[in-house]
Amino acid sequence: MAMNDIGMSLLVLLFSSMLSAHSTIASHRSQTDHFHEEVIFKSVADAKVYSYFQFTTLWNNSFETDRFDHCRLFPRSLAEIIHTFDVQELHISLTEGHWRHRYWGYPIIEASPGAEIWVWFGKNNKGKDDIDRRWKGLTSTLSGLLCTSFNFINSANSVRPKFSFRPLGVDSSAEEGSEGNDDNERVRYAVLPREIVCTENLTPWKKMLPCDSTKGLASLLNARFIHNTNYHSIGAHYRQMCLDAECTDTKIEFKQTVSLVYDLVLLGGRADEWSIRKLFGTGLFSYCPLATTSNIYVDVSDNNIELNKQPDSTHTAQIGGNHIKYAIYDVHRHASSTAGFNLVAKIRSTSSSMSPMRHSSPLLHVNRYIREYGKENGGIVVKIYNNHRKPLVVTYFENIPWFVPIYYHTLKIRRIDNGEEIKPLAKRYAPGSTRTRPYYLEVVLRVPGRSVVELSVDFDYTFLKWQEYPPDANHGFYVGSAVVSAALPYARNYRSLPASVSLLQDIFNATWPSNSFVVQMRTESFILGLPTPDFSMPYNVICLACTVVALAFGPLHNITTKRLRLASHSAKGKWKAFVVSKIAKIFGRSAPNDAASCSDSVPDSSVNTEATKL
Amino acid sequence: MGLLTDPTNDENTKKTFIVKYHSKICILMVFCSVTWLCFLAHDNFSAGTYFSENALLPGLVQGDYSEESEAQALYAEIQDEAQKYPYSIPDEWIRDKFQELYLEAYIQNFTLNNPLKEKLKFVGSNVYGILRAPRSASLEALVLSVPYRSPSSVYPSTLPGLALMFSLAKFFRRQKYWAKDIIFLVTEHEQLGVQAWLDAYHGTMSGMKGVLEYGLLEEHSGSIQAALNLEVHSPRISHIDVKLAGLNGQVPNLDLVNLVHRICSKEGVLNTFFNKDSKRGARFSTWNHKLRTMLEMIGSQATGVPDGNHGLFHRFGIEAVTIEGHSKVGRGGHTFYHMGRVLEGLFRSLNNLLERFHQSYFFYLLPSTDRYISIGYYMPSLALAVSALYLKSFATWLKLHMNDDGKKIKKKSLKAPKNLNIMIVSAIMLSTHAVGAFIMPAGNYLVKKLPWSSEVSLLYSYIAISVISALVLAVVMSKYTRKGNWILLNVVCLNEFATFLLCVSMHNFSFGFVATLIYVLPSLWISAANNRWYKKIVWLFFHPLAVIYFLTLGFTVYTFDELTIKEILLKSIEAMQHLIALNVTDAMVYGNWTFVVINVVILSTWLSFWSLMFASSEERDVGVEKEKAE
Repeated sequence: MAMNDIGMSLLVLLFSSMLSAHSTIASHRSQTDHFHEEVIFKSVADAKVYSYFQFTTLWNNSFETDRFDHCRLFPRSLAEIIHTFDVQELHISLTEGHWRHRYWGYPIIEASPGAEIWVWFGKNNKGKDDIDRRWKGLTSTLSGLLCTSFNFINSANSVRPKFSFRPLGVDSSAEEGSEGNDDNERVRYAVLPREIVCTENLTPWKKMLPCDSTKGLASLLNARFIHNTNYHSIGAHYRQMCLDAECTDTKIEFKQTVSLVYDLVLLGGRADEWSIRKLFGTGLFSYCPLATTSNIYVDVSDNNIELNKQPDSTHTAQIGGNHIKYAIYDVHRHASSTAGFNLVAKIRSTSSSMSPMRHSSPLLHVNRYIREYGKENGGIVVKIYNNHRKPLVVTYFENIPWFVPIYYHTLKIRRIDNGEEIKPLAKRYAPGSTRTRPYYLEVVLRVPGRSVVELSVDFDYTFLKWQEYPPDANHGFYVGSAVVSAALPYARNYRSLPASVSLLQDIFNATWPSNSFVVQMRTESFILGLPTPDFSMPYNVICLACTVVALAFGPLHNITTKRLRLASHSAKGKWKAFVVSKIAKIFGRSAPNDAASCSDSVPDSSVNTEATKL
Repeated sequence: MGLLTDPTNDENTKKTFIVKYHSKICILMVFCSVTWLCFLAHDNFSAGTYFSENALLPGLVQGDYSEESEAQALYAEIQDEAQKYPYSIPDEWIRDKFQELYLEAYIQNFTLNNPLKEKLKFVGSNVYGILRAPRSASLEALVLSVPYRSPSSVYPSTLPGLALMFSLAKFFRRQKYWAKDIIFLVTEHEQLGVQAWLDAYHGTMSGMKGVLEYGLLEEHSGSIQAALNLEVHSPRISHIDVKLAGLNGQVPNLDLVNLVHRICSKEGVLNTFFNKDSKRGARFSTWNHKLRTMLEMIGSQATGVPDGNHGLFHRFGIEAVTIEGHSKVGRGGHTFYHMGRVLEGLFRSLNNLLERFHQSYFFYLLPSTDRYISIGYYMPSLALAVSALYLKSFATWLKLHMNDDGKKIKKKSLKAPKNLNIMIVSAIMLSTHAVGAFIMPAGNYLVKKLPWSSEVSLLYSYIAISVISALVLAVVMSKYTRKGNWILLNVVCLNEFATFLLCVSMHNFSFGFVATLIYVLPSLWISAANNRWYKKIVWLFFHPLAVIYFLTLGFTVYTFDELTIKEILLKSIEAMQHLIALNVTDAMVYGNWTFVVINVVILSTWLSFWSLMFASSEERDVGVEKEKAE
């Protein structure tokens, strides 16, 4: 037995050393793919902690998609899908909860509640129908890959936004300029607001990571803890980027992200203290051996956070006149300890009189709700708050399901304080069509400085076919969030990366294109109570119909099975016949027929009829 | 089972029967209707309440709330703070308080432009805090509201309720299980504040444009599923009273009402309806007790005025009730602990809701806290009384086709009624309805022109318009119309009135029923021709203004029985002025229909009948026969 064991372990040792030798050879040969794992922690207003995980795979692979055949760090399953459907850019997010910009600032990656997907397809296409076919195929495949309901995406809930979703990476067709105005032909956007995100989505998502969730920062992503947050969003983002400044060649970037917002009040204990163990239920025991960098960043810009361990380094990033200071921990150095790396942060309150809800409002935030009174007509209202002193150009993109028919002519844009009408800079609208196409509305407008602009559009309530109502019809119908995009002049509450940068560690020497910080806020989604029939009605109708049938049956049966016979109506005859029939009854015999026998026509008034059984 | 058609059917005998006995049948119908309604309060005619919505799962969880001392401390703090603002709401203090509890909190301002007096404005503000549910994207919400009453308010204090709300907010904020946002709403100026907040939340203007100007809400939550309004008058309460009646007689879904009662019983808190608890047993006293409860509900519903802030939620499809805690004198009673447990149970139940309230009844009467009468049982009683009007109109119409001896007029002379005066009848109906429709705008116009105070000038202008319209119609009808046949006018009046009453009662049964009780008998009494002078005088007493006055007078006598007759008369006139001004304002601010319906339906019909009485008839004999029948 012992010998056997030793033999086995020898074999394993030999095999693993062979494997590692092979992998070193492979990496020597290409040396073109790298994996980075990073996480940021930031305390935000109302006792919340925002943590953002980013797992990035960079691969110096060019556009020629046939080279996806051999994957080392890049998930092979996804590579095949990207190759098959000729995807140029892919952005998926699965989110629970709504990001509250007013209190939490801007997230690094935005996501709308539910499942959201937007895709740019490669330029090699044979027109709109081809793209539609690929879109259907892609979403169906992804739904299998991520255990989501992406297979419910069809023409009835996908749109082609013109302004809001431009490629974030390299777009080859843009240079050629051949497609001109139709360049939104290749983009598809869809959102499933009712999607519930849970462990079943997290597990396949983790499988795309090179180290799975056994090692590295991903080992912190324990479903029991991360689904206990106020906001959680997992994402997968694929794009093609320039390899160098001249952009002679391209590389591939695949980012897997997790955004979490923890509520310290709900976690229990002190509301001004958090630690890795408190947030994730475990310390960090290991790093991913495949990762080039594994870093933890803690936002210490406000100088009010006290950390229990001295950071390896502290860096300050200059973003649009804003200083962001990060304490950086290299997981390679800390995670090897047997006790596990636990970081404890205490938030010092700057002054006791300050309310915990204090926050600096972001430059731009939105509030969307429905105007409803009765089940007759309603409206969608979006209030856009511009806290900047100068006007901002904002793009508003709305994707409304076909069962909420909006009226384009009721689109009103006005300043709230003085009621002044605002003329949009550009408008695009595609009316929806029942069961086949959603309503698409995109408006570009200039929001004056220090003002609130209200954009509203009216809609009707429609009746659906009775089979189209879900089992919980009275719960209401989900309408996904709208997207508000703008380029902000400076970076208050801003944390995203510029388009040219992939990694968080590169933020310190990144250059921003002429102080424009792009935000793409997702507004609130809402549920709409459509007029719903009383579904207990069929039961009532069945009862009623049966009763009516039962009641009608008796007389009909009588009429059809009994013969009408005239009875004599003279007073004299009456009592005579009566007596005779009585006597006959006593003797158990039927009464003898009267002279007047069965007659077809009933003569005028005062005719008595008598029915006897045939 | 008989045949579908009866060849022996002798139309003439039935018609003769109807014509001969209709007055007696009518009176019998009205009598039966009232008896029916009274019987409904008995246990044998009403049903026990039950839950239709299983998702509520009432009382399945063990309560955790135990913040008694916290609430007591908050109450002391709030009392101190309230003393600093004798006339207004300490809105910023309340907002900061919410924020200390880690809640988003905002202030909303609103302005009421007095619709009766130009340039008279009232301002107020509401404060609301939103507890964001950790697991949802703010798609659904529940509301807990407290009307803030400053120390100078004439109503009993609600500060203990506010303290309870804060302690609940603190407790709720620490719980993980919320699936719906909870909005804590503190409103000023009673119903005005709630109206302004709801209008702003739903982006609509329920009243007249420009009357209630509401400020913007900075943040919204999702669609509101249910609301509870909290009026706790003392830290120690004797019982919890559940108030339902909403605007225009709307009531919340019965499931919500049942839920409140069920949770109260579970927590051992005495729960009542119109301050009457439920009694059991088949004795006469039990029936009497329940009948009184039911009649109180009918009375309060008939006014169309909500008896609490919950009443304004209903029109937005939000089920809402008011939970009123009455102060306990002496020892014992329930403390914040018990009330907190009740509210915790309520909110946790509501949190379980998967769909909007839709399962249980939206139309019902309650004879006690645990029994209900569904619409299927009470509507027939009203229909019976209203059918009397239809029967009378049918009989009047039949009479037109009959000879004096009750025989049917021969076929060839079927169009015997030579002249039905269709044009004049149309003109009369048009003019009376015009008066009904324009009396309110005219009153509102006049009130701004007349020199007296708005209440006085409102009453005077209504009286003036009523007197003038009645006089003009009387003179025109008696002097300037030819002698003729006015049966058509009578039939139209009766049919219209009956139809209106049925329609109104579909919306507000109680109002419809009260109006029917008052008007059915006198309108049956009026005949198509030769109405004598005493009928006219009696009918004069049924002018809507007169009826309102008599009701006020009765109420004044009932309330101030120690006053002399003269004082009572003066007092009742004053009360009448108040009442009319209040009704007009309610109609314009909240969109209350009661006064509008009184004007448009009842006043018009009254005027139509009035002109009928003054019409000069040619067929004396019909009238005489009619009198005999009466």
